[in-house]
Amino acid sequence: MNRYLSRLSLAAALASACAAVSFAAPAGATITLGASVQMSGGLANTGRYYKDGYEFAIDQINKAGGIKVGGKQEQLALKILDNQSDNNLSVRQYTQLITSDKIGLLLGPFASDAVLATSSVAEKYEVPMIQGGGASDQIFSRGYKYIFGTLPVASKYFESTIDAMDHLTPAPKTAALLFADDAFDVAVADGTRKLLQKAGLKIVLDERYSSNASDFSSLLSRIKSAQPDAVLVSGHETEVLNFIRQAKSLGVSPHFYSFTVGVPSADFRKALGKDADYAFGMTSWLPSAAEKDPWFGDGDKFAAAWHQRFGYAPDYHAASAVADVEAYAKAIEAAGSTDPKKVRDAIAHLDFPSLYGRIHFDAVGQISLPQTVIQVQNGKVVPIYGATGFIGKAEYPMPAWSKR
Amino acid sequence: MDLLWQGLVNGILLGGLYSLMALGLALVWGVLNIVNLAHGAFIMLGGYACYYMFSGLGIDPFIALPVTMAALFVFGYLLQRHLINLVIRAPMFNTLLLTFGIDVVLTYSAQIAFSADFRTINPSYAGAHFTWLGATIPLVRMIACAIAIALTLLLWLFLARTRLGRAIRATAQNLVAARLYGVEPRSIYALTFGIGAALAGGAGALYGVVSQLNPYIGVSLTAKSFVIAIIGGLESPLGVIAGGLILGLVESMTSLYIGATYTDVASFGILVLVLIVRPTGLFGRTT
Repeated sequence: MNRYLSRLSLAAALASACAAVSFAAPAGATITLGASVQMSGGLANTGRYYKDGYEFAIDQINKAGGIKVGGKQEQLALKILDNQSDNNLSVRQYTQLITSDKIGLLLGPFASDAVLATSSVAEKYEVPMIQGGGASDQIFSRGYKYIFGTLPVASKYFESTIDAMDHLTPAPKTAALLFADDAFDVAVADGTRKLLQKAGLKIVLDERYSSNASDFSSLLSRIKSAQPDAVLVSGHETEVLNFIRQAKSLGVSPHFYSFTVGVPSADFRKALGKDADYAFGMTSWLPSAAEKDPWFGDGDKFAAAWHQRFGYAPDYHAASAVADVEAYAKAIEAAGSTDPKKVRDAIAHLDFPSLYGRIHFDAVGQISLPQTVIQVQNGKVVPIYGATGFIGKAEYPMPAWSKR
Repeated sequence: MDLLWQGLVNGILLGGLYSLMALGLALVWGVLNIVNLAHGAFIMLGGYACYYMFSGLGIDPFIALPVTMAALFVFGYLLQRHLINLVIRAPMFNTLLLTFGIDVVLTYSAQIAFSADFRTINPSYAGAHFTWLGATIPLVRMIACAIAIALTLLLWLFLARTRLGRAIRATAQNLVAARLYGVEPRSIYALTFGIGAALAGGAGALYGVVSQLNPYIGVSLTAKSFVIAIIGGLESPLGVIAGGLILGLVESMTSLYIGATYTDVASFGILVLVLIVRPTGLFGRTT
């Protein structure tokens, strides 16, 4: 009897807890977007761009009066959960956001592995997810209808870099390709390998390493003995930091090296100091006054406002996250409803200019943006090569470590 | 051939640092019978302590090293005396839970206090290297390896020669007999745990110089230390150093000849092999 009573009271407590959640968001007044992001754990360093970006964009849109849905002005709200850099937890949290919080509009987590796993939840419940953190081709090759991405496709990350290499004197003839063994980096490597072959470069080392590797001394020794002109690394920021520091301590200095991540972020330059110089990288976004935005004015104004609010400079992850929220705002207005299916169709037809660039998704749901080649020169990120050719002078070839 | 030689050198230098990382874990495990899951977090804290002394006060990391170790010793001593001692006689599962909890608390406190930004201890000579018999030897790694080996030998001497060291070994070997001879296990336990934490702190400082720090490096370092402790056995610091060198060489050779993506497979494969062939560790006591 006693046990029965306690079970009954537990059920009552659960029911009231559920009721509290559904009453927490007043119906009609606000539209809630749901997200599960890496706010702690190994990816927290990049995850914060998404948390800050989502919140900043929502605040800015609300400050401008919110969005118009069927003649009524409505405010946006965000329900954001910390997935602790655990993809399995993220899957559970998205399921919870959809099924118990009844949120029908999702923003994505960071990184391809997390997006691959969680986009299946969105697809299963037929709820749209706009994400700015996953670029792997695999995400968009599964025929899913509800996933949209604002990062350019992974297999083309090195396209502009390899173009630029061709125009350097002397042009690199041999290349080494190193990549981590996760969805994004494997996709980058698959694409890069083809691009290198097409450009006529000889690949002298093509090596996959385990994610979060901290020791690169053996790989660097192999690079030293293979003597490639260019080294292309696709990995995570922590690996890139280890790679560069250990390259210095082993005296490995190819004429040219480029990294998929790290180079645009302020944190990277701070951690390496002047050892960050000469590193090439790429970004899908640089602050520019030419990119007009409906809420932030333009890219420059956005970057200044971001720096003022958060105390650090935004990079392409941040701009991509803001673009995701703006895409929802535009799509909900166009659909005139918050019905997930109607919003999904509106997202597929979006076409508007933003601080991040033109937001327009292709048939598989991915955006198309050129990668600008950048290089760290005297502690500053300098744009080198864009869609129109050279926009800055590359410091090439990289001097040996002992001659810096 | 050159590559093989360079690979061997890389492996040995890496292994030296690995052994220092594992030394504290193995000591605490052997004496207190506690697998300290927060060991990696101690390494992380040591790294940050050294980082702040270097970047904030401009103290050279190798001078900051003993200070870091002293600070971690005090931290470990107090933690054992006032928290871990509460479950010292409890089943292993309870101590695992408690140290896991400490690990979570330390990791997340570190994120709040230090942020998730990557930090490097980057003195001007961090990239210096020299050539010896055709192999490139990074200066800092060599110093780190030498310090690791020196600390291991010191610990070995301390355990073998001093009264206190003998008391620690006696407590590990036979608690009842040690008590009859007047050893006070409570203070021995706290002292041992403190030494373990100090060694972890020293490893963290060196790790910050050769690699980079963030609040989350702990878990993988605990796993690595665990593998080394099993390979080397808990009997003697010399076994741990052998375990560290074996792991370093295996990782280096795997990366050189099989593929860098398989280093974890190789190192945990060795762990399984050792557990099958010699469950007490390659250099542990034979049963």
